[in-house]
Parts: sequence; C-alpha cells; structure tokens
Amino acid sequence: MNTGVKISGAAHAGLILWMLFGGFLSFDRREPMEFTEVTLISGEQLAAMQAAGSAAPDTPETPAVPDAPSEPESAPETPAPEVQPEEVVAPEEVVPEAPEVAPEVAETLEVPQADVTAVAPPAPTAPEAPDGAAVVLAPEAAPAPRSAPRIAPEPSAPPEPDAAIADEVQEARRPDEGTEAAEPEEPREATAPEAAVTAIQPDATPDAGGAVAALAPTGSPRPASRPRQPAPPAPAAEPVQDDPPDTASQQAPADVAEDAIAAAVAEAVAESAGGADTSQAERGTGSAPTGPPMTAGEKDALRIGVQKCWNIGSLSSEAQRVTVTVFVRMNQDATPDTASIRMIEFEGGTEAAANRAYEAARRAIIRCGSGGYDLPAEKFAQWQEIEMIFNPEQMRVR
Amino acid sequence: MMIASHRIRTAPRPHRGGDQALRRHEVQPRQKGAKPMFLRAISFVFACVIALHTAPGESVAQDGPLRIEITEGVIEPLPFALPAFLPENAAATQLAADISNVIAADLEGTGLFRQIPAQAHIGSVTSFDAPIAYADWKAINAQALITGAVSVDGSGRATVKFRLYDVFSGRELGEGLRLGGATNSWRRLAHKVADQVYSRITGEGGYFDSRVVFVAESGPKNAREKRLAVMDYDGANVQYLTDSSSIVLAPRFSPTGDRVLYTSYATGQPEIYVMRVGNVRQQALTDGEGAMTFAPRFGPDGETVVYSRTTGGNTDIFAKRIGGAPVQLTNTPSIETAPSYSPDGKQIVFESDRSGTQQLYIMSAAGGEARRISFGPGRYGTPVWSPRGDLIAFTKQNQGRFHIGVMRTDGSEERLLTASFLDEGPTWAPNGRVIMFTRESAGAGGQPALYTVDVSGRNLRRLPTPSAASDPAWSPLLP
Amino acid sequence: MAHAVVTAALLIGAIGLSACTNANRFGSGSDPYGAGASGAVTPGSASDPTSPAYFQAAVGDRVLFPVDQSSLTAAAQSTLDGQAAWMASNTAYNATIEGHADEQGTREYNLALGARRANAVQEYLISRGVAGTRLKTVSYGKERPIEICSEEACYAQNRRAVTVLQAGLGS
Repeated sequence: MNTGVKISGAAHAGLILWMLFGGFLSFDRREPMEFTEVTLISGEQLAAMQAAGSAAPDTPETPAVPDAPSEPESAPETPAPEVQPEEVVAPEEVVPEAPEVAPEVAETLEVPQADVTAVAPPAPTAPEAPDGAAVVLAPEAAPAPRSAPRIAPEPSAPPEPDAAIADEVQEARRPDEGTEAAEPEEPREATAPEAAVTAIQPDATPDAGGAVAALAPTGSPRPASRPRQPAPPAPAAEPVQDDPPDTASQQAPADVAEDAIAAAVAEAVAESAGGADTSQAERGTGSAPTGPPMTAGEKDALRIGVQKCWNIGSLSSEAQRVTVTVFVRMNQDATPDTASIRMIEFEGGTEAAANRAYEAARRAIIRCGSGGYDLPAEKFAQWQEIEMIFNPEQMRVR
Repeated sequence: MMIASHRIRTAPRPHRGGDQALRRHEVQPRQKGAKPMFLRAISFVFACVIALHTAPGESVAQDGPLRIEITEGVIEPLPFALPAFLPENAAATQLAADISNVIAADLEGTGLFRQIPAQAHIGSVTSFDAPIAYADWKAINAQALITGAVSVDGSGRATVKFRLYDVFSGRELGEGLRLGGATNSWRRLAHKVADQVYSRITGEGGYFDSRVVFVAESGPKNAREKRLAVMDYDGANVQYLTDSSSIVLAPRFSPTGDRVLYTSYATGQPEIYVMRVGNVRQQALTDGEGAMTFAPRFGPDGETVVYSRTTGGNTDIFAKRIGGAPVQLTNTPSIETAPSYSPDGKQIVFESDRSGTQQLYIMSAAGGEARRISFGPGRYGTPVWSPRGDLIAFTKQNQGRFHIGVMRTDGSEERLLTASFLDEGPTWAPNGRVIMFTRESAGAGGQPALYTVDVSGRNLRRLPTPSAASDPAWSPLLP
Repeated sequence: MAHAVVTAALLIGAIGLSACTNANRFGSGSDPYGAGASGAVTPGSASDPTSPAYFQAAVGDRVLFPVDQSSLTAAAQSTLDGQAAWMASNTAYNATIEGHADEQGTREYNLALGARRANAVQEYLISRGVAGTRLKTVSYGKERPIEICSEEACYAQNRRAVTVLQAGLGS
C-alpha cells in the first residue's frame, strides 16, 4: 500500500504540474481549433460498437442489429444518381396541379391535432396493480403460455459469453424454477422509488444468486467474490446490519451464514422503520463498514459492471450533460434493491433533463444488476449502500 | 444556453454518516456546460486525477455509502419492443399495422432506438389494458415497451391509444394517450405517438409530426428543372407547389408552417415570393425593389423577412415586414448573405466575405456592428440558428470538401458532422436535434439528395424522395 | 474595329431575337445560328459580322474568371473590348450579362458571386462606351453550368459572364 500511495502521489503531482503548465501553455483560446475531420459513424460502425458494447445480449436481437444499420449505410452509397432525370420526371403524373394540392395540404395540416386526450387513468393503474399480483401468482392464464415460449430461447442463451447477458438469461430461467422468484422486483416498482416499503425481493434473490453463479456470464472475477453465495441461506443478516457498528468484518461471515429470509424481513423492517432509524444507526459510529475496505479492483468491478448497461445514447443532448448521483441499497446477493434507487442530486441541467438522465442510470443499475454485481460477499457492509455518480462528461460527443 | 453549474439536491442523502466524505466530494471540480477547449481539457485532467484518487481508495474507508463514479457508459440505440397495435375493430386492422410500422420507423430513424423484431418477442400483448408481463420483455432486453390499440368509427375517424413502459423499472413512463383524427391522416397520428415516446424517453421534444419543403429536381445538370415541393419529414406524401417553368430556390417555412418563402426566376431574375401552403397562392415580396433578391428567411414573428438584395453587383442584407418597406441592415462592398434570425429575433447570423473569404458573423437584428464567430480554416456559409438557440449550423468548405457543421453561438466548440464532395444548406429539425441538408454527388450525372444527420454526427441517413431533391427546410412541429 | 458597313446589318437584328428565347442558350453545343450556307455572307450566320452569331463566335460572348474572383483578367478585358466595339456598332442590340459560378460553392454565395461577375463586365463595358441603359445583369449562381463534369476543366468554363444580346427598340 505504501508503494501505492507513493505512486499515486507521484502521478497526482505529475498530472497537476502538467495541468498547470503544460495545459495552460498549449491551450490557446483562439488558436485555430483542430477538429477531427468529421465524426461520422456509419451504420456498420454503429453495429460494431453495439456488438462490442453490451454485445448482443440475446440471440433474438442479434439479427436485428445488422439489418437496420446496414440499410441506411448502403442507402447513401446508392443514391441511384444514374437514373436519368428524364425518367424521374414521371412525378408529373403523380403530381397533382398545385391548386389541387392545396386542399389536401390544408386538410392534413389540421386534422389530427383534434383531440389529444389523456386516456382514462383507470387503465394505467390497472397494469401496475395487477402487476404486483401477477408477480406472486401469475394472474391471468397468460403466464402459462408464456413460460412455454421462454423455454425455447433459453437453450441458446447460456452459450452467450458476454456478461450483459446474465440479466436476461437469468430472467428467462427463473420462471422454470418458480415464477415468484422472477417477479418480486417488479411490484416494488409500483411503489414510488422513494417508498422503501416492499422487501420481497430477498426471497427471490437467493434463487437468482444461485442461477447467476451457474451462468457466471461475467468475466473471471466473479468466482472470487461469489463465495458468499452458498451462504445466503443464513438468517439474521439484517439485524446485524442495523447495528453495523459492531465489527463488521467478523460479522460479515456471520451474516452469510444467516438465513436470507430472515434478512429480508429484517431489512424490510429497517426500511419501513424509516430512514431515521437507519441513518441513526449509521451515524452512531459511522463505522459500520469498518471491515476490510473495498479494494480498487473490487470497486472497478462494480464500476464496470454498471457502466456496461449505462446507455445515454437515447438521451437528449441536454440530458447527456447532466451528472446524476444515484443512491441504491444493495441486497445481500449483490442485486440492487430496486425500490431503494433514487436520485440524490444532479448537476449541469434542468430537472427535466436530470430526470431522464436518472432514468437511464436507474435502468443501468437494474439491468446489469439483475444477476447480481460482482461484489465480495464478506464486505457486504461496505457495499450495502452505494452512491453512484453517473458523470457523462467524458462521453459527450467526441 | 449555458447550464448553470450548480448541483441540485433532489433528495436528502439517506445517510449522514460521512459528512467528511461528503465535503471531500463536493470539492471536486465539476465544470459543466459550454466552456472553452482548454477548460474542457483541464477538466478532463481533473477527471483523471479523480479517477486515480478514488481507485486506490483504501484510505477513503467509507463512513457513508460506498461512492463510485461512473464515467464510461455506452452510447447505443435503446432497444424497444413494439408489438403491433391491436385493432379494436375490423375496420382498423390494416390501419393498426400501418401505424405500428410508422411509429417504429420514426423511432428507429433517429438512431437512438432499435426495434426488437416481433419474431424475437416471447411475450405478447393481447389486450391494451392487460397487465404487462415485464419479465417477458426483460428477457429479450426490451428496455422500452410500447403498446397500443387502434379503432375506426363509422365516420372514418381513427383513434389511437398507446402506453409506454420502462421495462426494467417495471413501470409506465407517462400516461397513456389517446389521439384522434381522420383516417387519411393516420400517418400524422402515428408520428404524434412516436413524438410522445421520443420525448418521454429522451427528455426533448420530438420532430416526427413535421414537414419539409424542398426543391424537387429533374433533368440534366445543365438544364435542371426545379419545383417546390413539400412532404412529411420522412419523405411520405410528396406534393408539388409549383411547376418547373422557372427556377426556384431555397424555400423556407414560416414559424407556423403555413407559409413558405422562396426565390424564383419567374420574372427573369431572382426575386422572393411568399406562398401560402394551404392554397398555393403566391405573392411577390420584393417587387418594386428593382433588384435581385434571394436567401429569404422569416423572423420568429412570422411577419418580418430578412434577405439579400443585390444592386450594382453588391449584395447586402435587408429586412422588411411583408408589404412594408425594406430596411438595409448591412452596407459594405462585400457579399453579405444567408441571414438567419436567432430564435428570439434579436440577432441575425449571416455570412460575409468582408475578411476576404466567406465567414460567419452575428449582428443585432437592427443591423450595425457584426462580430465574426468563425475562425477555423476554410470558408463558412449558410449559417442557421438552431431552434434551441444554442448552436449554429453551417456549411463549411475546406480543402476541396464540403461539411455540415455546428458551433456554439460564440464560435466555440465547432464540430463537423459530415464530409462529402458537396454538402450544403443545413436546416434544423424542430427540436434542434437533427439536421437535414443537401448532398450532391459529383460528376456529369451528379444529383442532389436530402440527408439527415444527428447533431452528434451520428446516424447519417438519406431521405427517400421521388426525384433528386435539394434545399430542404424543416417546418416547425405541426399543431 | 467599327466598320461603317455594319450599320446596314441592323436589318438582320430580328433574326437574332431567336437567341433570346432559345431554351438551350446555356448550352455550349452546336451553333444554333449558322445553319444555312450559301454565298459569301449569310445574314445572321457567324460569318455575318453584324449577327449575334458572329458576336458569339468571333467576338466572344463570354469571359471566364479565376476561382472565387470577379476581377477581369487581361484576356477577359480584351474580349470585352471587342464586345464594346461590337455593341457600339450594333446599336440595335441591348444585352443582358449573365453571371455564373462553378458548383464549388454554396448556393447563396454563388448567386452573389455571379452578380459580382456580371457587374464587373457591365462596368467594364460602360467604361468602354456602351450606354448603361443597354445593359442588364442577372446572376444564375451555380444553377446553369454549361459543362457538367466535376473537374477544374469544367469549372473553369462555368465561372463565366455571358453577354446575351437582345434586339432593342433601336436606341
């Protein structure tokens, strides 16, 4: 560690120096800026990026990717310019005389705007509430037919090498093992993210954990941190967390031994008891996580685990500029407690933009975490609560 | 628009254990929004420092929650599933399919979304109001799910309902909406649905329910025939507004989309006309000025027009209210043309070769001193102020190539989005996210075509048009 | 250069009218006037020094410009001297000077550039004694190239100002 500190110190010093001098010297405000010649990304490249990025998570999609992008790409190339304009003149026929056109245009311009009314709210609630129900006992007859098709895609999924796949595969698999397992997370959605009511997921998670382990889609690191998995069945985990002040390091193992269900209950209680409770506990010593700290490698694993799913490609350019800090409470199986996710703060944009940015961050946490993050079980106390700062600055159009 | 660089707390931190730690983080420099290149570079350095700092993080032994900073995400299209909208009655069967297709095409066309083909779906939507089986959609990695239903009543009126779901969060995004309109305007209904989906996910307005006015071209290069035409933003519903008896150039929509300004050689020399799109009635704008006039553009009030007028070989910028008297805004022996108002109508960006080559300048809408904003190598022309007000799109010529580019209004952060033998004449989508322009191929058989590109430089696409086409101008979002 | 003889040629003016309405006048192709051929001087043909055809072919109806320039080269001035002289002798003709640009420029700028070129020619002709009332200008920018390849050989031909004759009202 000493060496680490030294190296770090040296690196910092170097960077600062460079920043102070090298930086100022070489950056002239009015200097003709050199711009990379065109930042075009062809459909092919895009496809490539996708492939490299979260790599075809599931077989079914893969086919889609190449198709779509390739079209636009080829299009530009084949402008069919050779077509003799003369022939093109055809439009004449199709072309209504200007006057005729008029009425049509006018008509078009007005029509639709007519009524844009919010659909009766009843429905919206419907889907959500029943959802909760659906989770537990798969409502309608639907589930049955569903599970059938699911099985099909599965066989193909396992082979997938990429980490990202974990989520989906797992999802697909769960049903086999028990429908309840898969859904528990959803119901919590119904409750606003703020409300930390439900604590069902713990039940589900143990399963998930196991499944994930089996699939271990992620790179090598996982096995290392996974040893805790067998443990989950241990009870009383939560209580421990409530008074983490105790020597966490020793407890960690203990927790592991506890029964997951008990943990769930405990957590639920803790949560419903209100933040005050927890925070107090935390504050009590601020030493809850006194056990072995997370190593850089472990943090990186988490960082990488999340960023794979952090897609800001569909955000407005304003939302792409917002840095959001998101809080998430983790379950012992290293999956995120979906209901606990909330935005703590944002910076660099309007609230509306921040909300979109937050949603993208939230999707990332849930999606990549559905199979459990690669976190050391014995350090649960350290990562039980996480603040993730999603800072897109370096990703902006380069 | 610069975004203030302050942090906004949206919820109390769940744990206060680590005030120290908090303060430490708050000290971290965070520069956001527009900034000069050197600042950006410096902040990058900071970012590196931070990265180094947090990486070895042992000493940081948390008091509060573990904090990690995520700086490297991905930029790729968001996968969505759009099970074909359900026809609620027999009359709506075809319409439901068509509308579904147009919505999907709209979304995919942005390059920000990618449709998961129906064959890959493992779940289905059998009723618009049935609960969503999120697991089915998660399993295929659909991050957004769009469901809908279409009905057609006896009077030929169509109604579309839709809902949008955030699959992984397991909740609906926004409320379900119902839209109605004549059956024959079904494309607009579809575009409106797509606009809703787009804006709910991206956080910015859509642009699908809009039109484009352009010049349809035919005939050989040295005797090209040109006609004004309008079409939907996606190339559908092309309609012609003029015949090809005289050359017409560079049409521009009014802020409300009901009128079009353009230049025509009807009298033998270029002059500006205003046409009502609804009835194709046209009116000369600059008759009586006895000079060649061109490059018109509406001001945001829809009544003022800024344009170029050439007398004695010298081109300057004028403005006039329709039917009013012209006011001269520039008065130099150089070429001043291609004026474009800022969205608030207070400023005008234009091109001038007063420095010796075409460059971009900004002046007050009343004329007077102009300040140059383009300083890179090459020539800059046809500036167009973005509807958001923060960027200016332009055509750049450099070393024998043409580019469409954007820069901030102070000239900083110039970015080139395209490159080709001949790209020119950018026009902004109503939401300021996409730019359409003319790309002409080289050679004796060279033809112009319309292209779009995302302001990020991604997603270059050719717009389908029935013939060669040039000089596009995007309408505002339709009401 | 002025030959008194030429005055008689006014008669032929009417023939030249066709030049004004010829849709292909931007073309560089075949000479639309010199069809007939018999005797020494066919009225209206390129061999008739009072004909627009002669103006076009022998005097030279166009001048070329360097890239992005509207200043007149020595060669251009010499051609314009000939045009001025011809117009001085053929006072029944007025002229419209068309300014053009090659395709290597934006549409608006090229319109303005074409106008500059046309104006440069107009001013020169006036300076050589042609009455300003007989001259008009118009710019086509890059709308009407005569050569359609995308190479300098073509561009050079397209950066031009063309003096198109019209039969005036006998000023």
